[in-house]
Amino acid sequence: MLQVRNLHKSFGGFKAVNGANLEVADGEIVAVIGPNGAGKTTLFNLITGILSPDGGQVIFKGEDITGLPAHRTCKKGITRSFQVVNIFSRLTVFENVRIAVLSQQGKTFNLFTPSKRLVTDETASILKSVGLIKKKDSVCGALSHGDQKVLEIAIALGGKPQLLILDEPTAGMSPEETARCIDLIKALRNSMGLTILFCEHDMEIVFGIANRIMVMVRGATIIQGVCDEVRCNQAVQDAYLGGSDVCSV
Amino acid sequence: MDIISFICSPGVLCQVLVGLSRTVILFIVASGLSLILGVLRIPNIAHGSLYMIGAFMAFTVSKVFGGGITGYWMAVLLAPIIVAALSFIAERAIFCRLYEREHIMLFLLTFAFALIFGDLVKLVWGAEYRTVSMPRFFQGSIPIFGLPFPIYNFFLLIMGPLVAIVLWLIVNKTKMGKISRAAAVDREMVGAVGINVSLVFATVFVIGCYLAGLGGALVAPIVNVTLGMDHTLIIEAFLIVIMGGLGNIWGALLGALIFGLSQSLGILIWPQFGIIFPYAAVIVVLSFRPTGLLRSTW
Amino acid sequence: MGARKSIVALVIILAILAIAPLGLPRFYTYLIALIVTTGLLSTSLNFVLGFGGIYQFHHAVFYGAGAYGAAIMISKLGYSGWLGFVVGPLVAAALSFVIGLICVRLSKLYYGMLQISLGSLVWAIVYRWYGFTGGDDGIHGIPMPELVGSPLGAYYFTLIVGGLSLLVMHRILNSPFGSTLQGIRDNAVRSQAVGVNVRRHQLAAVVIAGFFGGVAGVLFVVVDNSVFPDMMFWTLSLEITIMALLGGWLTFLGPMLGAAVTVSLRTFVSGFTDYWTLILGILLVLVILFLPEGLLGYVFEVWKRRTSESAEE
Repeated sequence: MLQVRNLHKSFGGFKAVNGANLEVADGEIVAVIGPNGAGKTTLFNLITGILSPDGGQVIFKGEDITGLPAHRTCKKGITRSFQVVNIFSRLTVFENVRIAVLSQQGKTFNLFTPSKRLVTDETASILKSVGLIKKKDSVCGALSHGDQKVLEIAIALGGKPQLLILDEPTAGMSPEETARCIDLIKALRNSMGLTILFCEHDMEIVFGIANRIMVMVRGATIIQGVCDEVRCNQAVQDAYLGGSDVCSV
Repeated sequence: MDIISFICSPGVLCQVLVGLSRTVILFIVASGLSLILGVLRIPNIAHGSLYMIGAFMAFTVSKVFGGGITGYWMAVLLAPIIVAALSFIAERAIFCRLYEREHIMLFLLTFAFALIFGDLVKLVWGAEYRTVSMPRFFQGSIPIFGLPFPIYNFFLLIMGPLVAIVLWLIVNKTKMGKISRAAAVDREMVGAVGINVSLVFATVFVIGCYLAGLGGALVAPIVNVTLGMDHTLIIEAFLIVIMGGLGNIWGALLGALIFGLSQSLGILIWPQFGIIFPYAAVIVVLSFRPTGLLRSTW
Repeated sequence: MGARKSIVALVIILAILAIAPLGLPRFYTYLIALIVTTGLLSTSLNFVLGFGGIYQFHHAVFYGAGAYGAAIMISKLGYSGWLGFVVGPLVAAALSFVIGLICVRLSKLYYGMLQISLGSLVWAIVYRWYGFTGGDDGIHGIPMPELVGSPLGAYYFTLIVGGLSLLVMHRILNSPFGSTLQGIRDNAVRSQAVGVNVRRHQLAAVVIAGFFGGVAGVLFVVVDNSVFPDMMFWTLSLEITIMALLGGWLTFLGPMLGAAVTVSLRTFVSGFTDYWTLILGILLVLVILFLPEGLLGYVFEVWKRRTSESAEE
């Protein structure tokens, strides 16, 4: 579904992404891991069009979408959640998701129908699927951090994506919230047929739900493969897992 | 062929130089505006009013010291300092409370001060216009291109680059300058290393306002000092700063140059609408360099 | 914020104003008409400022464009008043499209500064073009169609057109477009990430705001029968921004309230002193420091706190 080939991006003199490669197949859950500053978020920004790459290609469902701006990649079927909570702070939970749904349905230039009457069912069903329906009228600022991160995902779902990109979805969550989030991710793939690409620091989560893992170090892809492949790869162990012999587990 | 020889004729060149010497004033004021824009990130609408206060203050100081050459130099010395002091009071009393607030509030606050200062001038000096007489030292002219060129305007043409160099030295060679440049880029980081960011802002703000007052003091002998001189000036200063690149001192100089040239040429070619030429210049510049000619600090 | 409450309040106020002339001396009908006009202008500004987060720092250009459009159509070109009334806002909308196109791709503060500059260009042209726009004199004694020629006719025309404009703007703000606009205000990056073409929506919002600013300009021509370049001067732009802030820039009716307070205060105070601008400046400082959510915003805050407290009891 998604192929990333040799992507490059520099800021001033600093090479944030320096030859990234990625493959995501239909219905897969792929994780991107790497030390802090490896360029994972930048990679996501390049794929979704918030930044445009200096070189390389991004191909989605056979179409070259390299450098396409963010609002266009969303319409192609890729949506994302953000690492640092990035929501519509002055609006309620319901309104937040409604905007995403309205945009997906192309209704944003509708000037005269009260938006209260529109897309209520779709919005409600998304909120139900992530478990936030009870808090639908709360203003976002009042939510707990964990709920805000889930709201992030809900907003991304509003775009009816085929590929869902999650940037550190469980960062800052408590253990219970993390467990719920993992169940949610699995459910999204199983019941909604979504393809999921995410990055995380928690290795248990990564090895627990990912089909394949891509490892980035200093902006470049070292390897992409299934869990055992990655775990036992020497370069990965040296660069990231501290050189310890994880394979003997 | 005709137009080129017309433009290059001594009379026209002289006129252009006169226009440029007046633009030096604009540059001095705009450089202060640019400084504040670059570090504090607010367009200081009150800048025009401070310029006006500088001019009126120059009038008063000059009178106090009996006019003439002493009066003039005391005015140029003291008026900007008084303006700077006034801005310091305003900054400490009210401005600094707002650095953490929404940006637009700070901008509206400068407008509030523009309103207040404008009426304050009316209160203190009344509604009639004032004139500061040109000291004898500056009267007369020197020959340039074979034509008489006013000495005072020549003096201004020297002042411009002088101020630019001094400002450049302050911003790039002093510790305070380096800190303020860092604060312009990353306010939080500078605060995190233990520097009092609020004080840095205060210093930059005061220096910027000093420059506005200096511009006013320098322009006093060659214009009528009136209410309302702030209104048109601030727009011109904005144009220069936008053209040159926000926060860039050399950009302000370049912008002022282009402004002065386009205005002089405009008035020569199309007197009724000559004033439009600088605006046209801005649009042209922005169409191929959207953030201004030189690098802006934003 | 209770969309329905705003409508109800608006209708009640309009109803009261409709019967007001029966009891008030003529000066007050002029004043109220002026307040409605200015309030409409300030509301149209707040359409993009408070609800769109766009730094529209020279909105008065569109006010002037609408007014001059109508005035020139009637006085200089000899067309009927009604045609002039329609052309005015269209001119304003066209101007806001052009200026918006140039400015919208820039960052917030740059947008504001560039708009002030471009707006001043328009002012400079109007100020100098003596033959076409009357230059610094403006145009006076513009003839009006019979229906709105009398002070009472002008008054009711202003109420009707003003009220309708407010209703339309309110409707738009509660539509998907309005929700999207507010989303862009709160988080432009997020909006893009959910598929919103931010620039296009902002441009549309600016054109709508410019259109209604032009309508306000036409209303002024109807009430005052004159136009002058000061209607496009940047100080007026900032004054109407103050009105929006004073009334509450996150509320719909806030700017209207701010306009009412400011215009009344100005009329009242100018009778006593020449230093109205000083007072306005001090008022602005006080609002920024102590009441940044504006009068109406403050009232809503208190009311919300009261209802949540009583809900907990």
